[in-house]
Amino acid sequence: MVDAVRYVEASIVVLIVGSLVSLLFARRRKLCGWVSFAFVCASSVYTGLAVVGGCKGASGEHTILQLPQLGSRLTLRVDPLSAIFLAIVALIALLSTLYSVRYMEHYAHDKVAKFFPVLLLCVASMTGVLVCTDFLFFLIFWESMTLTSYFLVTFESENAASQRAGLKYFIITHGATLCMVAAALLLWRTSGSFHFDAIRQTLSALLNTRPFLAHSIIFLFFLGFATKAGILPMGDWLPDAHPVAPSGMSATLSGALVKLGIYGLVRLFCSFLVVSPSLRMWGIILALAGTGSLFVGNLTALRQTDTKRLMAFSTIGQIGYICLGLGVGAYCLPMYPALASIALAGAILHAVNHACFKSCLFLGAGSVLYRTGQRDMDKLGGLAGFMPYTTGTTTIASLSIAGVPPFNGFASKWLIIAGCVLAGMRFPLFLVLGLIALFISLATLASFLTVLGSVFLGKADPDIRTREVPISMIVPQVVLAALCVLLGIFPQLMLRFVGHAVADVTGITAAGVDASRIWGGLFLIDGSPVAFWSPLAMLAALAILALLSYAIQRAGGAQVRSVPVWYCGEEHAPATVRYPASSFYLPFKHAFQGIYPSGKVHVPRFPAPLRRALDFDQWLYVPAVRAMDAAADRVSRTHVGIPQIYLLWIVVGAIVVTGILLWVKG
Amino acid sequence: MCVALKRGARPAAAVIAAIVTGLAVWLTWSTYGASYTKMGGALPWLHGIVDRPVLGIFIDPLASLMLLVVVPIGLLTVLYSTSYLTEKNREHPVGSEHYGRYYFWLLLFISSMVGVAIAPNFLQFFVFWELTTLCSWALISFHQNERSLRAGFKAILMTHVGSAFFLLAILILFVRTNSFDFSALGTLPDGLRSWVLLFLMLAAWAKAAQVPLQTWLPDAMEAPTPISAYLHAAAMVKAGVYLMARTVSSGWAIPPGMSLLMAGMALLTIFVALSFYFVQDDLKRLLAYSTIAHLGYVLLGVAVGGLGSTLGFQGGVLHIICHGYSKATLFFCAGTIAYVTGTRTISELRGLGRSMPLTATAFFIGLLSVTGVPPLACFWSKFMILSGAMRLSGPIGPLILVFILCETLISFGWMLYIGQKIFLGAPLAVVQVPSDPPRAMNATLILLMIGCVAAPLVGMPLVQLMGK
Repeated sequence: MVDAVRYVEASIVVLIVGSLVSLLFARRRKLCGWVSFAFVCASSVYTGLAVVGGCKGASGEHTILQLPQLGSRLTLRVDPLSAIFLAIVALIALLSTLYSVRYMEHYAHDKVAKFFPVLLLCVASMTGVLVCTDFLFFLIFWESMTLTSYFLVTFESENAASQRAGLKYFIITHGATLCMVAAALLLWRTSGSFHFDAIRQTLSALLNTRPFLAHSIIFLFFLGFATKAGILPMGDWLPDAHPVAPSGMSATLSGALVKLGIYGLVRLFCSFLVVSPSLRMWGIILALAGTGSLFVGNLTALRQTDTKRLMAFSTIGQIGYICLGLGVGAYCLPMYPALASIALAGAILHAVNHACFKSCLFLGAGSVLYRTGQRDMDKLGGLAGFMPYTTGTTTIASLSIAGVPPFNGFASKWLIIAGCVLAGMRFPLFLVLGLIALFISLATLASFLTVLGSVFLGKADPDIRTREVPISMIVPQVVLAALCVLLGIFPQLMLRFVGHAVADVTGITAAGVDASRIWGGLFLIDGSPVAFWSPLAMLAALAILALLSYAIQRAGGAQVRSVPVWYCGEEHAPATVRYPASSFYLPFKHAFQGIYPSGKVHVPRFPAPLRRALDFDQWLYVPAVRAMDAAADRVSRTHVGIPQIYLLWIVVGAIVVTGILLWVKG
Repeated sequence: MCVALKRGARPAAAVIAAIVTGLAVWLTWSTYGASYTKMGGALPWLHGIVDRPVLGIFIDPLASLMLLVVVPIGLLTVLYSTSYLTEKNREHPVGSEHYGRYYFWLLLFISSMVGVAIAPNFLQFFVFWELTTLCSWALISFHQNERSLRAGFKAILMTHVGSAFFLLAILILFVRTNSFDFSALGTLPDGLRSWVLLFLMLAAWAKAAQVPLQTWLPDAMEAPTPISAYLHAAAMVKAGVYLMARTVSSGWAIPPGMSLLMAGMALLTIFVALSFYFVQDDLKRLLAYSTIAHLGYVLLGVAVGGLGSTLGFQGGVLHIICHGYSKATLFFCAGTIAYVTGTRTISELRGLGRSMPLTATAFFIGLLSVTGVPPLACFWSKFMILSGAMRLSGPIGPLILVFILCETLISFGWMLYIGQKIFLGAPLAVVQVPSDPPRAMNATLILLMIGCVAAPLVGMPLVQLMGK
């Protein structure tokens, strides 16, 4: 049996080769897309094999390169945690590439040469980030990922908004990376190695000997990962960068790339910090940051009228849920391992689920954009009749993200909130945070009802001529929607691996989630069983109720009357009577007006005196040269051309020389 | 030779440069991991004092690294010049009657840099050092208009201030030890050694355009762009930092005070140069300030090495090669832009990416490499400098770390902003005249892009051989 690491290496190599090959075909749009897709397929197969191998337990380490003077080695390893994120990356990359093959026709002016090869490199670096166990090379993969995604965000080179967003994205995340460089170097100073194991040991040693330094290092790491994950306020790049990227890339950004920030946070707080009392403080900080982001993110999403921007804000919100789960988990790790495993499993499961539904939503928004050229929901309406598949998948994904049972969002949010409530019994703050998270789910639902209502429902304009997107764009959406349903009904399928990963990464053995029964649902165990969720039972109940109501309706013989809407007898164009997105939830929008402050950044002016002081030419060299020049002038004035005066000079000179000689001698 | 050829100067220059490159690579390969010395000429008037020959060839890892910067970039410069200096150039059309002069000086420039790189002692170093000053003067004033003549004069004047100190240092050294060897520095008494080091450092500052003698370099941008590229990336200014690297690595006996002074001035230079980024509207001047900052990095690395951290020294030396290739890329891109559009004013350029995709790619790669974004070249060297600094005990390491990371972020942001401004956005009318740059220029850019990625791969094994 080949080791899982080898598969990952093969996958990375395939992607890099694929990027070069697709560059060769760049002149032909579709061919380039299909070639890239073929390579992503191959790499996904390899990654899939690695995931299968890695889920069972950590693979062996494989060292590729050594830099002895830096104490660094390029070492790869697949463990259950990275396997889960690898699966997300491979899946989302595969589907987005497939989707982009046709979608990229949308950009007539920009060449695909700067899309597919870069996308493949981006996927390769994401894969690298997940399997690297050496922090120096982790940073290199990490920043390659930022670099490539920057070029994908600024893909539309003539769109000023996309460049602004790209610039903001790259500068903010590069700053975050530099924070991590600083943290890594501070640790390296003590340990002399960048290996994850060494980092773990040094960090726990430092926490005892020099707590201030250790906490600063943790803070720098936190800053680095949280920025990428999109936790507010560092995640401010996210709402700008997501909408302007091509939709395939938005899906990859939101589905996979942002998740790597979460991966980093899990590694940091669950693996690096081992089980130390300081985890409690960081757990509270994480939970507060998460709650803040989910509150602000989801309420700001309510205010948006641009589909992709709305989804970007909702990403911030959902990442907030994940972060809340992580925070509760980290808080509970030292004392209540079973509880911690519930919250952590919920957080990681939510990361997986979020990848499914958010990518599906972005692809849906992309399909609308592809056919209508619009992202502004006020100008859209009634697309359900034209684009049935997109409508269906977007509906499923919207319900999932809002946490409506039995879709997958419910299962993970349930775990997170259960974790909050259970932890809240020991530390009441978490109860409050859990309740906030619970009610913010409503805002999520509301914001996605805006999308469904104003884009797909309502009356379509009579002159609108649009149709469903091509099959290669439908397939990814349908696959993701199907996953939303499947993982909603059988969360156990995923939870087994998640539970395994949590146990592996934290080293705790007490399982808080019992996911062994395929048909029986989930049981939460905190000492004794405290809660359970059985999607199948609930579905059965719902089905019975539906049948019942249908039977009652039939028995009652109620008449169904279909009449046009009455507009007080006036004729109106559909566009004027449609309920536009900007009119939804006006009271809420008024109430939370200033919740997401935005302002323009101005480059501070350089103080003029300092500028003059730094300009050495002005006050030093030019005057010096002038003075020299003047002095030379003055000397040259002695050349008057009269021999007597020259003779006088000679005599005076002779006297002076003699005087000096006499003075020296005597 | 080129003067004689006149008409055929272009191909001849290219061929000669190619042969020299081959030689340099062979030399590096054959002496890998060892050092090689072959002394030739003695000076007859020094009989009785120094009987050993004082001129010759000395190759060790440091010299081979320098050769790998000087010669290949020289070849690329020649290659690029063959299509840049033509009548078709929109910024400065150059007639074929000037070719002989141009290639004569350029090849002399390359050979004098080779002389510096393989110098076995301070004397030969100084002779070739002065030769580079002379060549740079001739090449900066190549266009022979008012501004370029002034710039050339300024360059020779300011670097000569440094050279005077260099000469003084050599004289003191020779009078006290009867030797020009690099290692003779270690035999000087402590106080005097500090003075000699200070003079050498002043020479290096002048040559490498460090504060307070930095102002000649931005003005030297009047030179033809390939010359600017060579001057910045490989020659002239690199001679300054090479001198410091030589001095420090010969004996490792630098008083800590001097190293601290060097590190402090390097940091000061980095920030002074940074402060000038924001007011530049001339692309080449912006790049010139960035060069000043990056030479500061090299000196910082060398200074950290002087303080006792070999890793920092290795990083500094690695930065010579990494920065060389990255900065050459940027300058050649600036040259291509000027060649096609006739301007290098940043505010007049927009949306070039559409008509010049290759140049845009090269520029972004060069830019990200120079600002130290992993996985490109300069990240490695910067990282090594930083980790070298962290090896030092006391608060110096973290202090350097904080300063450097701040500078990195600011310069990265600004450079990226400029890159976007030039290459992205809706194309302006001025730039919508895309005549693709000639093939030789494109080939140069592609080779340099590879260099931006591969420079650490070549440099890393070499720098690993250096150290105490």
